[in-house]
Amino acid sequence: MNANAVKTTIVFDDRTVRHFTIASMIWGFVGILVGLIAATQLSFWQMNGRFLQTITGGLIQSEGLDFLTFGRLRPLHTNAAIFAFVGNMMFAGVYYSTQRLCKVRLASDLLSAIHFWGWQLIIVAAAVTLPAGLTRGKEYAELIWPINIAVALIWVVFAINFFWTLKKRNEPSLYVALWFYIATIVTVAMLYIVNHLSLPTSLTHSYPIFGGVQDALVQWWYGHNAVAFFLTNPILGIMYYFMPKAAGRPVYSYRLSIIHFWSLVFIYIWAGPHHLLNTSLPRWLQMLGMLFSLMLWAPSWGGMLNGLLTLRGAWDKLRTDPVIKFFVAAITFYGMSTFEGPLLSIRAVNALSHYTDWTIGHVHAGTLGWNGFMAAGMFYWLVPVLWGTRLRSIPAANMHFWIGTVGILLYVASMWASGITQGLMLNQLNAEGTLPKYEFAETLERIKPLMITRTVGGGLYLIGYVIMLWNLFATIRAGKPVTDSREVYVEPKKHDSMPWKEVFLNDPILYTVLGIFFCCLWFFLPSYANVGALAGGIALTIKGVARFKATHQSWSFWYEKLLENFLPFTVLTFIAVAIGGLLQIIPTVIVNRGDRIEGRIQKLYTPLELCGRDIYVSEGCYNCHSQMIRQMVPDVLRYGTGRRDDYSHLGESIYDHPFQWGSKRTGPDLAREGSKRDYTWQVIHLRNPRDMDRNSTMPNYPWLFDKKADIDALPAKIAAQRTLGVPYKPMTADVIKDKARAQAIEISAVLKGQGQLVPPDREIIALVAYLKALGSWEEKLPAADKSDDRPSLTPGNPDNHRPVAAIPAPAN
Amino acid sequence: MNNDHSAHHSTQPVDPNAPVLRPHVYDGIQEYDQKLPNWWLFTFYFAIAWFVLYWFLYYNLGKFQTDHDRVTSQIDAINQVKAWELEAMLAKLDDKVLWEWSRNPQIADQGAATYQKLCVACHAPDLSATLAGAKLPGLPLNDAEWKYGAKPMDLFKMVQKGSPDKTQAVQMPPWEQVLSASDIAKVVAFVLSHHTEPATADPPKVSSN
Repeated sequence: MNANAVKTTIVFDDRTVRHFTIASMIWGFVGILVGLIAATQLSFWQMNGRFLQTITGGLIQSEGLDFLTFGRLRPLHTNAAIFAFVGNMMFAGVYYSTQRLCKVRLASDLLSAIHFWGWQLIIVAAAVTLPAGLTRGKEYAELIWPINIAVALIWVVFAINFFWTLKKRNEPSLYVALWFYIATIVTVAMLYIVNHLSLPTSLTHSYPIFGGVQDALVQWWYGHNAVAFFLTNPILGIMYYFMPKAAGRPVYSYRLSIIHFWSLVFIYIWAGPHHLLNTSLPRWLQMLGMLFSLMLWAPSWGGMLNGLLTLRGAWDKLRTDPVIKFFVAAITFYGMSTFEGPLLSIRAVNALSHYTDWTIGHVHAGTLGWNGFMAAGMFYWLVPVLWGTRLRSIPAANMHFWIGTVGILLYVASMWASGITQGLMLNQLNAEGTLPKYEFAETLERIKPLMITRTVGGGLYLIGYVIMLWNLFATIRAGKPVTDSREVYVEPKKHDSMPWKEVFLNDPILYTVLGIFFCCLWFFLPSYANVGALAGGIALTIKGVARFKATHQSWSFWYEKLLENFLPFTVLTFIAVAIGGLLQIIPTVIVNRGDRIEGRIQKLYTPLELCGRDIYVSEGCYNCHSQMIRQMVPDVLRYGTGRRDDYSHLGESIYDHPFQWGSKRTGPDLAREGSKRDYTWQVIHLRNPRDMDRNSTMPNYPWLFDKKADIDALPAKIAAQRTLGVPYKPMTADVIKDKARAQAIEISAVLKGQGQLVPPDREIIALVAYLKALGSWEEKLPAADKSDDRPSLTPGNPDNHRPVAAIPAPAN
Repeated sequence: MNNDHSAHHSTQPVDPNAPVLRPHVYDGIQEYDQKLPNWWLFTFYFAIAWFVLYWFLYYNLGKFQTDHDRVTSQIDAINQVKAWELEAMLAKLDDKVLWEWSRNPQIADQGAATYQKLCVACHAPDLSATLAGAKLPGLPLNDAEWKYGAKPMDLFKMVQKGSPDKTQAVQMPPWEQVLSASDIAKVVAFVLSHHTEPATADPPKVSSN
């Protein structure tokens, strides 16, 4: 003990932790319940509102209720589960552990309060706007722009509170849990802001600034890393704190922490394109997405190993301590999903699994298993501590564990079976190998029992959760909030003094940066030069390994010093997570979109069609329908129009803000819907899909026949689209509205001729106008240099300097 | 240097092979510094090596087809088989054969199965194109009026290619993307099974609108 150490008493701010804990417990219930209702809708279409008529004996007359349809409930479920349940749980865990790991009270009580109440207000706003159909139409990024700004501001409040606490810390060195918290805060801020850049057209509506493939790429860079940095990273940090606490054992391996932390945060960011495999996303991005996902397997399992092996010497607690039980099961599910993730990222596997329930099963192994059980373990440990009492009932906690586990297994197994069944059926061709064997609706009939099993699994999980809520609230009632204070000896501050030169100019950083640099040259340089870059990179790696073997003690010493300097650590983390996104997104965004259309250019939507598209987005149609014919024979045969290359080309969706490629086919793809069905079919089908297909599980949309289309909003919307670079000709507001009305009257007249009486001012007219426009494109030959067979000499798109003949012009 | 510190901890076993316990304690939490498991390291190295190899094969050696080439060559092959099938079917089919097929219950039943799956939505189960009094998008197939030709082979072409007039707001979709030539012939036979062959060889009556 240093003689200069000063004795101080710290009073921890556990009030905030208690608030976040209770909020997470309550929102978790809401999120799971909404998910359960949405699950029933996939096997019983009546659950989209019609059931109310039955159970009230006709008191409520309804063929379907807008705010109860799957397209609106599913975003509510995902947002509640991610941001409300896991978000609040994460804040509770981060705030509890950070204060103790830093030996200091949270920096500001005011910021903590703003953080808590601000976050809950955001959740309430989301719970109101999403069922009302106010959405941006991008998955996990549905909230409208004023709420986006609130989220960004509250996140900044969280960041200030957290980093200010680090600044005031009395513990010089940063423990591994804090590394993960730091990565979470900076990365989520970056992802959230970029993916939510939009141009408002009104208080509740905006268009994302990216369109088509750019929007797809940015969306899944965000969407994938929302999983990585919201559902995984902070929870790993929480694991690193609460697991050794509960087990009473040291963490398994410090050096494994280092390797798996840095490789995880660096590699994760690159993997986003694996959500777009076999689509019209350029091949080089698909290759990066797939190959980085495979490299992610080991770093993810590093976290699992460090969690599970911490229990060495304390495995007996697995029998007696529910906290350990939940943690071990959660980490096991983490290991399972992080093995499954890379597997699903292989393009060939993805051709089967994508757009099916397999993906949904995969996600739920992670959320129900990893997030839900980590949360439960943390609550069972934390609530008795925060309220100074014992857990009300250990048997009830054990019961929760077993019911929940059976629930997850039923859920995940039925979704595997459903996804593989449906994927195989949809990809299967007839005996001659010339046509798809099954109609889409036939697959729905086949998976119905599995959908019901999935609902049962989710129901069991919810029952377990309710048992936990009873147990925890009974514990809270029996105890009293505890003010935790601790006496510590604080030594004179020597940390946070590393010169920036020392941060950057050292072997580990130089070799890493040069290695990544050579790697990028290899990706982007033209032929031959790229092979040279690869050779240089390999030589550098060998040199680096030799250097590490000789001087690894100085590397260790440098890293331990870095751990005593929170700002340099944060900057290096930010650089690590920024590289992947920059290299993938910037080349795609700076390319003039007119240059990358693969010979097809989308026809502009008429004002009425645009209005209909916004209705499509608002109703959340993208939750069940894709608009992307993948570059696969079964997709082209099933959804194409007969041309030999009739997969979706980049140019076909280039003006779509937001893109609507979709991620799940609960219903068939709609990329060529316009050339397949006419207005009458669409109108009858939207009124009651069973009239057109008795196996359909789609909701009825009766309100589209009553609500009037918002023609008056069109001038502002088209102005915004023009600003975003969609080449509309200048039109006055009156011209826009007149055009929309004239087209609506025309469609209404056609429908009348077919015996369908629909007034022209209704939403349904605009929506069928949009559906009729789906798949409208014009041929546009690529620019002259594209037909050149010689490889390009300038750095850029790797697909352009592959040593094979250039893409032959489509012949048909 | 870590080993020096381990002496400070009384709980540390004296076994020299025991894992190294790092000296630092964070809120009561300690860390071992175990070596990385070999199988884990190999997994990681293998994934990195696979990255280099695969990228090299595709982008530097030009191995494997592009998606465009793969899809179009496969679709070309499929289209060849389809064209051959269609040719074989057309060589076999004429109006007379289709009328004969329509009297063959086995063939008509197979056509009925296709009809019930795909055609009922617009033409109704009873071919009337009305359901519970409401008009469906299709034309009735149980009356004597044939808008686009009454000969069996006209019907075949209609099912295969869809409405000839592509400017109409309401159109029959082409089914050649969904049905094989023999499926189409069978479904036409099923429709014809609701009609009788005209006794004379008069030109069929084509409606004027």
